[in-house]
Formats: sequence, C-alpha cells, structure tokens
Amino acid sequence: MSSASSLEVEDLRTEFVLRDRVLRVVDDVSFTVEPGQALAIVGESGSGKSVAMRSVMRLLPKTGRVAGGQARLGGTDLLGLSERQMRKVRGRDIGMVFQNAMEALNPTLTLERQLTEHLLWHGICDRAEAKRRAVETLGDVGIPEPEKRIRTYPFQLSGGMRQRAMIAMAMVTQPSVLIADEPTTAVDVTVQRQLLDLLARLKARGTGVIMITHDLGVARYFCDDAIVMYAGRVVEHSPIRPLLAHPAHPYTSGLFSSTLEVGARQRALRPIPGSPPDLAHRPPGCAFHPRCDRAEERCGQEDQPLLPWSGNGSDLVPGTVAETGRPTDERTDDRADERTGRREVACWKAVQHG
Amino acid sequence: MSFMTYLSKRVVRMVLSLTAVSMITFTLLQLAPGNFADIQRISAGASQFGGAGTEDMVHAFASRYGEEIPAWRQYLIFMKGAVTWDFGPSYKYPAQDVQDIIAQGFPISATIAIIAVLLSLVIAIPVGVYAAVRQNSAADHGTMFLITLGTALPNYLTGVILVLVFTLTLGVLPSSGWDGPQHMVMPVLALVLGPTAVLARYVRSSMLETLREEYVVAALAKGGPRSTVITRHALRNSMIPIVTVLGPLLASLMTGTVFVEALFRIPGLGLYFAQAAASRDMPLLMGTALFFALILMTMNLIVDLVYGYLDPRIRAAGGVSRWRRSQKSPQRQPA
Repeated sequence: MSSASSLEVEDLRTEFVLRDRVLRVVDDVSFTVEPGQALAIVGESGSGKSVAMRSVMRLLPKTGRVAGGQARLGGTDLLGLSERQMRKVRGRDIGMVFQNAMEALNPTLTLERQLTEHLLWHGICDRAEAKRRAVETLGDVGIPEPEKRIRTYPFQLSGGMRQRAMIAMAMVTQPSVLIADEPTTAVDVTVQRQLLDLLARLKARGTGVIMITHDLGVARYFCDDAIVMYAGRVVEHSPIRPLLAHPAHPYTSGLFSSTLEVGARQRALRPIPGSPPDLAHRPPGCAFHPRCDRAEERCGQEDQPLLPWSGNGSDLVPGTVAETGRPTDERTDDRADERTGRREVACWKAVQHG
Repeated sequence: MSFMTYLSKRVVRMVLSLTAVSMITFTLLQLAPGNFADIQRISAGASQFGGAGTEDMVHAFASRYGEEIPAWRQYLIFMKGAVTWDFGPSYKYPAQDVQDIIAQGFPISATIAIIAVLLSLVIAIPVGVYAAVRQNSAADHGTMFLITLGTALPNYLTGVILVLVFTLTLGVLPSSGWDGPQHMVMPVLALVLGPTAVLARYVRSSMLETLREEYVVAALAKGGPRSTVITRHALRNSMIPIVTVLGPLLASLMTGTVFVEALFRIPGLGLYFAQAAASRDMPLLMGTALFFALILMTMNLIVDLVYGYLDPRIRAAGGVSRWRRSQKSPQRQPA
C-alpha cells in the first residue's frame, strides 16, 4: 500500500456544461497535501470546495467536466488515467468520508458488506481477512464490540457511531489520502471532538487529510494548512494558525468575523453583506468586490492573482481574531508557524499594505 | 413485536376484511336489477336451458336456497358453508360446486399469471435500469416510447395480432384450448406487454431516485465498478416500490383475465367470474369474489414480508403497515 504519497493539485479547472453556457465552478485551484499533513478547504456553500474534491476523485455529475490542470498522486496524474485505472485509485489510494453517514451508508446492507467490499474489489485480501480487518478498524475507531456490531445495519447505530463506521469504511484500505467532506457538521460537539481525535491519529500515521469545513474551530484544531475558496477560486492560501491570527484577504477576515469561536473574547458578529455570486454572472475582477467594504474601482477591473504575502494584516482588517485577545503564547506560536509557511493572497490591497 | 404476533394480527385483519367483502358483495348483488331465474328466462331462446329447465333448476337448488327464503338467511346459509370452504353448487352449473369450479380454473389462471408476471419482471428490470442509467439519452427516450406504446395496447388486441401472426400466418401455435405448453405461449405473450410497460416505468423512476442517493456516490468512491454498484447498492433499494405494485398486479392476473381467457378459450377463472356477474349466479359470484379478495390480501401480505426482506429497517420496525402507510402509495394497475 502506498502510504506515503502526496497529492498535488495544480491549476484544477472544473466546468459544468449547461444547455446554453459553460460555468466554471473550479478555477485554477492548486494545493498540496503531504503525507501526515492536513489541509482545510474553507469557504461558503457553493464556493466549489466539494466540486474540487469530486473532480480529483473523478466523480463529477454527468454535466461536469475537468477542463484543465493536474491532480498528481505520488507522481501519477489522476486526471489522465483511464476509468479502469482510476477505479483502482478510488477507495484504495484515496478514501472519502461524507458529511452525513445516514445518507452515505447504504441502509439495506450490513456494515460487514460495506466495510469489506472494497477490500475485495481492489483484491487487497480475501473475504476472511477482509472481515478481520474490518472488525479491527471498527475497533480502532472506537466502536465497542466490533465483532457484533459488524453484523448490524447502519440504522441500528447511533449518529456518532455511524459517522465513525463511515470513517472506518474509508480507513480500512489504509489510503494515502483521506478526503473528508464536512465530517463533523452533522454530529454534536462531543462526538465531533472524538471524530477529530480519530482523524488526528490517522494523520499521525502518515495519512494526508483534506478537510472541507465551514467550521474554523475544526480547521484550527486539526489542520496544518488552509485554502480559502470564493466563487471557485482560491483567495488565500496559508498555514492555518497565521491565517486565523491575521487573515489577509478581506473575504477571509469577513468569514472569521461572522463566526463564533468558543474561548475567544466576546465580540460582535459581523455578517458579510450580500450572498455568494451566481457563477453565471461572476463579477469582473475580484469576484468578492461587490461585497467587500474595502473595494475600490480597481478591484472590479483587474483579476486578482494569488501573490506572496508577508504582512500581518492587522492594520488592514481591524477587529479580527488577532485583536480579540487571544492569549499571547498563541501569538508566539503564530510567528513560529509563519517561518515555515508561505502565504499567498489574491488581493492587491492586502499585498500592497503588507 | 415478534413475527408470529405480527402474522396473527394480519390474519385476523384478513378475516375481518373478508367478512366485510362478503357482506358488500351480497348486498350489491341483491340491489342489482334482475335475478338468476329471470335472466335465464329472458335469454331462454339463446340459452341451452329451456324455460321449463330453468324452473327445474330453481327447484333443484332449493335444497340449499329456497325461493321463499329471505335474503339475509340466504347470506347466512352461504357463509356457513363458506367457512368450511363449501360454497355450494352454482346456479348456472348445478352439477358443480363453486369450490370445484375455482379448483379447476384457478391453477390455469394462476399459471398464466405467474409466468406472465415473471417474464415481465425479467424484461422490465433490465429495461428500466438501462433507461435510468442512460437518463435523457436517445436510448432512454426510445425505450420509454416503446414502453408507452406497450401501455396503450390492450391485451385482447395484442392477442388478436398474435393469433394473426402465429396461427393464421405461420401456423405454428394453436389459437385456442388448454392442453400443454404450446397453448400457453400466446396468452402469456398477450398478457406480458402491459405489466412489462408498467413495471419498467416504475423501475426506471425508482432507479433514478436511488442513483441520486449519496451511498451510490460513496460506493463509487470506494472504487466499485459501476455495474456492481448499480446491482448491489442501487437495485435492491429500487426494488422496494416495485414490490408494492407487483402484489396487486399478480393477484388480479391470477384470478383470471376475462378478455384473454375468452379470446384463447382458456377454462380459467376469469370466464366464470364474468358469467357469474352477468347471470346473478349468487354462489358463483360470492365464491369467486371472496376468493379474489383472499388472493389479493395474501399477495399484499407476501409483499409486506418481502419488504422486510429487502429493507432491514422495516424488519426491525416489526411491521410494515405503519411504515407503508406513511409512504406514497402507488396507483393500482387495473388488470
């Protein structure tokens, strides 16, 4: 099993072909996930996070197509593989965890069937060994009496257990990359913590994890890097802690100041005005400028490329996490991270003001 | 709730329903204009029975139902026999007890029905799945066009076309009678078209719904071959609504298809059923109606048990009726 390959996505473009036009849903998205690292993909609904992941898995709906870019896993471009070769990658090299286990687990098949079938499809082992591994993995994810539970159907488990069973289903083949699409959104907070610890253990074993999330707390707890997506493009790319401490892009800071975080000092929630753009009518220039309170004329005229950024941003975006009284030792941590991580932002103002 | 409790509850409900069916049928029969003797007298010229013959017959069955006995007593006498599976002699066929007529006709009708429904399932499932998987393609539209055509074509017309082709033109199949497999081919083919069309439509729409489920994507994301994912993950879940239509469909075909049996001169139940209603033959009508109700209820019970097999959630709930009632009930298909 290839347990140490990194996933490198470069200039990924995905389009949906409608009756009379083509929508670009993912536009020049690039990121890398190293073994044992976790990447957060953050953004509002409809920003293209999930579509980007489905593009990498090549599981787009019929109207979708990848129009360009590469997705290399251990050097092989997945987008160039035949369907037959791609099938060998899905579930074996890249595992996927879905938001809602109730929907992602088949209600009419036992856990045993669902946890072992892909081991058999990929010819990893025989049926008896597959069952042994499935029981072991169920135990690993903290399901009590796994020998007994493996014979049950998904509806016979509690919500948290189901979610764990689904993670076990993705883990059982020991993939090198795990894509988790909001794995903790549908469960309550205590279960959330257990699931994150589980994923953290997986990460420690060398699995690269991509986590799609709305929840900045989750991203902060678990991820090393983050990309922030808006209207199909990456607007900011950064190690997670400096990103949270000093968001560079106005959209990122808007996103942060519109969410609550436990433990942060009390502050007013400030929603971002307006709603994400309809991709059929993407605003020219920076797609965020109609909602941005710092927009100038130039923002609506020039496309904003991702440019290196080294400032701390606090003068640009007052009232963000950095100023809400996070303990000083954490600020020191932020600086330590900044040494290692390269930051990029797609906003000329942020770049200019440093 | 244990399985046995569930089953016995269902049986009690069946008995109550049958009683209600018998009362309603008997009342309707009494309310219908004319009675057996009058109808026989009116059609005397054309009938094999003379006017006097009819009088004789009325006296012949007076041993069980005298002319002067009030209707409610006739009903009680009939029901008393019915609980021991003794429906008494038919008015029209006084030499035969109704239960013997059923015992003769039912196996014939049931054989045709079961073969026809199995055959239509064998055709409808792959066709429906094929159309669903290629939704909105030319193949899908083409298949659905043929299916609509199949729904529109009545089975007696199909039967006539079959006779024209296989008997009159090719001369390979007998056009009437019931004696061996060569007599089954055309009736079955005539009956297969309608159910196939209906079932294929259900399979397609049910499959389309299932294919949108996230667990299908999840199975593909595990590296499942498309065909395996469709058969193992999608088909089973798509079959649940199909089973719902299947029960009543099978029941209505099993109890006789009037047109097809008449066309091919098959001594099935359908013919007797139609005659009984037309001639106000009380024991024959009551017997066949109750038998039909019994078959329909048994089919529904089997359907519910099959649900439990297909969907473990229903099995766990210990009963289907409550779950089923909450589902959108599909329209019953007339035979």
